[in-house]
Amino acid sequence: MINKSYADQKQLVGADVDYGEHLFGECVTCHNSTGLGQGIPKITGMKTSQFITKILAYKTKEKENAVMQMVAERLGEEEINSLALYLSKLK
Amino acid sequence: MTKMKRRTFVGLAAATTTALSMPSIAFGALPRVVVIGGGAGGATAAKYIAKDSKGAIDVTLVEASKRYYTCFFSNLYLGDFRAYGSIGHNYYGLAVNHGVNMVHEWALSVNNAAKKVNLGSGESISYDKLVISPGIDLKFESVNGYSAEAQSKMPHAWKSGTQVQLLKNQVKGMKKGGTFVMVPPPNPYRCPPGPYERVSMIAHQFKKSNPTAKIVILDPKNKFSKQGLFMEGWQKHYPGMIEWISAETHGGIKKINAATMEFETDLDTFKADAASVVPAQKAGRIAMNAGVNNGDWCPIVPASMQAQADENIYVLGDASIAKSMPKSGFSANSQAKVAANHIRGSLTGSKVFTPRFANTCWSLVATNDGIKVGANYKATNEKIDKTSGFISKTGEDSNLRKATYEESIGWYSGITSDMFS
Ligand SMILES: Cc1cc2nc3c(=O)[nH]c(=O)nc-3n(C[C@H](O)[C@H](O)[C@H](O)COP(=O)(O)OP(=O)(O)OC[C@H]3O[C@@H](n4cnc5c(N)ncnc54)[C@H](O)[C@@H]3O)c2cc1C
Repeated sequence: MINKSYADQKQLVGADVDYGEHLFGECVTCHNSTGLGQGIPKITGMKTSQFITKILAYKTKEKENAVMQMVAERLGEEEINSLALYLSKLK
Repeated sequence: MTKMKRRTFVGLAAATTTALSMPSIAFGALPRVVVIGGGAGGATAAKYIAKDSKGAIDVTLVEASKRYYTCFFSNLYLGDFRAYGSIGHNYYGLAVNHGVNMVHEWALSVNNAAKKVNLGSGESISYDKLVISPGIDLKFESVNGYSAEAQSKMPHAWKSGTQVQLLKNQVKGMKKGGTFVMVPPPNPYRCPPGPYERVSMIAHQFKKSNPTAKIVILDPKNKFSKQGLFMEGWQKHYPGMIEWISAETHGGIKKINAATMEFETDLDTFKADAASVVPAQKAGRIAMNAGVNNGDWCPIVPASMQAQADENIYVLGDASIAKSMPKSGFSANSQAKVAANHIRGSLTGSKVFTPRFANTCWSLVATNDGIKVGANYKATNEKIDKTSGFISKTGEDSNLRKATYEESIGWYSGITSDMFS
């Protein structure tokens, strides 16, 4: 079970930046990679903690959106942390 | 430093290691990937292989057209929600930002043994790995009386471009109170909800300018994608305008006549004032030529999208048998990323991750009334298996439907930027 508190941790357990980059490919089918936030919010430049908090809220279905709940559902800790690490390295 | 300079530099450095680990490739030469088809599958694959290999792989994209008009959102153009120009895209980004060698020609044939693609001009290009994402060809003969000649009287408009412009013109020019006949294709076909979104957008046109017009759908199927949602929407927005007639009810389309615009079925002969006929489909011809098909479509290895018939060829998108994924642009884009990761791994030894597939298809029923269906998939030995999914519900509130429509606009901008920039 993923604990919300790890959103605050400095250490991103199991994070792999290459894996994060690869997983990011799934995001940019919808989230415009050039940062245009039309209809779907922009995620480039998002803070690590903000990203993790949001993904967890979709995972626990506290936050509504069928697509994002489905995306978050199959992201485990390693995936979330890898994505967070990769996102933090994007401008 | 310009992008090309950086690319050349990194490329040379990488080539040395490649040559050591890949003895079959001549010293100093980069491994070569050729992609046939610059659509949802092929453009994405070419971009990701070039981008992620950072110059270590030479990527050539063979695409017949210089401009790609998406089928996705072509229905929104029919309904006046999009301008035609906004669904057209060029290959500038792939060539300039990612160093993809764009060859605007037809690939005529594949020599699997020599690993060469022969082009319309007579030139040929060698590959180490070949990606085929040619989309569909139409089986005109599947509807008795339909043909390449008849397509201008009853546009299929199933490959976007001029056919969609023609269809829109015919819809707008249809006589007042006339009948529009839509013939959807039998399964499996590109974009399962597409014909029904098309009907919705044509109904939206008629509601504005020809409110007594009728739409008759002569379906070769007994049910269709998002049926409950479409039926509910039609009732709500276009009451009395649309009649869906299942195969069971009309007993099959026996014959159509493009000159008289007649559709003969067991039930009745329907006379149309305008029509769209979408015949059955099969993988684009080049896939057959490469010998990677089994009948109309191409069996693949679910974990990599490699053709079962040739491990050096990958088949993406509509042409592949990627069940349980539907034939959609989203699916093709998702499959392309799995294949790109696998190809890079096999050519340069980069990490290959567990494949993850996903799809979501949005459809527009009326102004601000969007619906969606989506699923996650994983590769098993037999197929690309659905692991979870969702679908919009009937009776949803209008704010949610509006948000769903807006989300689809974001998706369009996302996927086209992912493919082309
Ligand atoms: C009306 C309609 C609405 C749709 N709406 C949606 C939607 O909302 N969402 C969604 O996800 N999908 C949608 N789709 C489906 C989507 O368009 C296709 O599934 C997708 O384009 C498939 O991608 P592909 O790479 O297989 O083929 P394509 O995108 O068709 O690309 C194939 C390309 O290959 C080129 N080509 C073919 N053969 C050769 C050759 N021998 N040499 C050189 N070039 C060649 C063609 O010119 C073409 O550009 C819709 C389709 C239709 C018809």
